[in-house]
Amino acid sequence: MKRPVIALLGLALAGPLAAQQPARIAEAQAVLAPLIESYGVSGREGPVRATVERLLPAWARTETDTAGNLWVRVGKGDPVVVFVAHMDEIGFLVSGIRDDGSLDITRRGGFFPSLFEAEPALVHTEAGPVPGVFTPRDSAPASPRRMPGPFRVDVGTTSRAATEALGVKVGQGVTMPKHYTRLAGTRASGRAMDDRVGCTALLLALRHLDPARLRHEVVFLFSVREEIGLEGAAAAAAALGTRTRRVHAIDTFVSADSPLEPQAFAVAPIGHGPVVRALDQSSVTPPALVDSVVALARARGIPLQTGATNGGNDGSVFGPWGVPDVPIGWPLRYAHSPAEVVDLGDVAHLGDVIAALAERW
Amino acid sequence: MVSRWKVRLALSLLAAGPAKALPAQTAGASAADLAVRLAGMTAVTGYEQRMVDTLLTLLPGSERDRAGDAVLALGTGVPRRLAACPVDETGYAVGQVRPDGWLTLHRSPVRLRVPGPLFDQQIEGQRVTVFGRRGAVPGVVAIRSIHLTRGRASIPNEPFTSDDAFVDIGAASAREVAALGVGVLSPVALAKRPHRYGSDRLAAPMAGRRAACAALLAAVRRTTAGQGAAPARGTTVVAFVVEQQLEARGLLTVATTRGPFDETWVADDSAGVAAIQAASLPAGPRAALGRVHGWAVATRYSGTAVETVSLGEVEQTSAKIADWLRGEAGQ
Repeated sequence: MKRPVIALLGLALAGPLAAQQPARIAEAQAVLAPLIESYGVSGREGPVRATVERLLPAWARTETDTAGNLWVRVGKGDPVVVFVAHMDEIGFLVSGIRDDGSLDITRRGGFFPSLFEAEPALVHTEAGPVPGVFTPRDSAPASPRRMPGPFRVDVGTTSRAATEALGVKVGQGVTMPKHYTRLAGTRASGRAMDDRVGCTALLLALRHLDPARLRHEVVFLFSVREEIGLEGAAAAAAALGTRTRRVHAIDTFVSADSPLEPQAFAVAPIGHGPVVRALDQSSVTPPALVDSVVALARARGIPLQTGATNGGNDGSVFGPWGVPDVPIGWPLRYAHSPAEVVDLGDVAHLGDVIAALAERW
Repeated sequence: MVSRWKVRLALSLLAAGPAKALPAQTAGASAADLAVRLAGMTAVTGYEQRMVDTLLTLLPGSERDRAGDAVLALGTGVPRRLAACPVDETGYAVGQVRPDGWLTLHRSPVRLRVPGPLFDQQIEGQRVTVFGRRGAVPGVVAIRSIHLTRGRASIPNEPFTSDDAFVDIGAASAREVAALGVGVLSPVALAKRPHRYGSDRLAAPMAGRRAACAALLAAVRRTTAGQGAAPARGTTVVAFVVEQQLEARGLLTVATTRGPFDETWVADDSAGVAAIQAASLPAGPRAALGRVHGWAVATRYSGTAVETVSLGEVEQTSAKIADWLRGEAGQ
């Protein structure tokens, strides 16, 4: 009885999203929103890992490796195919506590620091978040520069002892507060869509695929420390070695879909489907594999774009073992800002592509 | 008797930002509570109507004057005193709706207390709220993706200005924008989420001005509740005034329509008090204000999205105002 049910499910996934939109969009949002509102500066991904584990289907079994990556292995036997999405986000770590109680901080990941200047802050302590503010520059000349110099975090204390009494320690993560916000239509905004959307898509795929249908082992890897050099994925790649036949980084396709961006490349409009990230600054996907993914998506009725963008991806670190990297993303506006915008239809379709690849490729 | 959940609902609506009229059942709210709630509201210069609606509800007996101020007159005779707090803030209005659904902005006029050169930059890459005809609409202000600047020209060294702003509300066409009730002239401001930190600090855009208004509001509510709406002696007019950034138009309207006054006290953040005391205002209306004094709420990080006040100091300011209202103040 299971096969017909699964076949029907496959047909349902393949149909136009518009026809099933409310339920599919609602499901994508129900997974994405709690992931967006979980905090995980690179190297401090614990809360995100906990949220991922909570959102997994009941049958899924997890392992956490020494790097902190969360593994979900489905199916048995070689070859191994890996889907990897990263759990970490840009932010800061506490690097010192001053005598006046304020915090020195160091950046984790690449972003414009002006986005954090004079914004609310949260220091993530063992006892929970301690609120504060990222300090504005002391004074602005008549013609200031856009980017601030180094700034600190003021947690509302006036001494080192008072700050330490709040549970604040060197090494803890510091972020802005985050809020998932639904925009018009099927669009949504929040910081750290990169790469919580990737995590969401893996979770949606896991929820929709039937583990019994897989013809080989598929690893769904939720990685750590991508933003500071693909470190978690590198550990996983080394652990798997030559067993891996193919890797799919499920990560942002940084899109030029904005009036501010040059239109020379990365022109993948949001709402037009996921994107095969065939060329970026860390990998080039063999054209035959791109064509194959496109054909599979077309056969399933899943909209799929292809393109080139900037940035690196977790799949690229599997290269030394001869593993082809076929990254697939979704178009994102305003990457690495608090204003990141996605289309929830793209998120749902990305889950469909992953499920199809896991089952059919 | 109004059930507790209805009061909670009303408070949450006020705190949410898009101003909804608030019933008077929050009479017992402290100045600190009111400061947090008012800090969650938006009143772009010239578009203060919803904020004033709320204040009218919170101040029984008050009325809207010809300028749009919320005004409450207490007592009769002399001396004639005015206590005022400005409610407006520098913000934006939609300047154009592009065919692709992005909005461009026009900054609200400012003649008093011109913001610094980094003011507009506060909205770049951040959440904003567009106040459309059908309610508040969330949006974000576009910023270049840092990845796409690598190996190419990055963003300029000069600060971001409102001319650089493209607001994305999720609409893909001008028609979708219109369907949300948004159009040219819809007010726009940073999304307001009052942020508490430390033992008693409140951070928000315009936290100082909002805290000052909360101090005045709480003092009036406390005083009128205890004295049957009568000040100690003479006439006291309490006004929450609009368009302060436009050379105090609301304040001067109160002066010319309700004055002349022997003295005027303005509750505002320190910079606002200094600005009104130094302002060059039209002579006749200015004279109707009488001597101008200030209840200044001290701020840190003034003019930023994390302008910070001490809620303890807000309570102290409110107590001072209450003394003045009762005629007990040796101000």
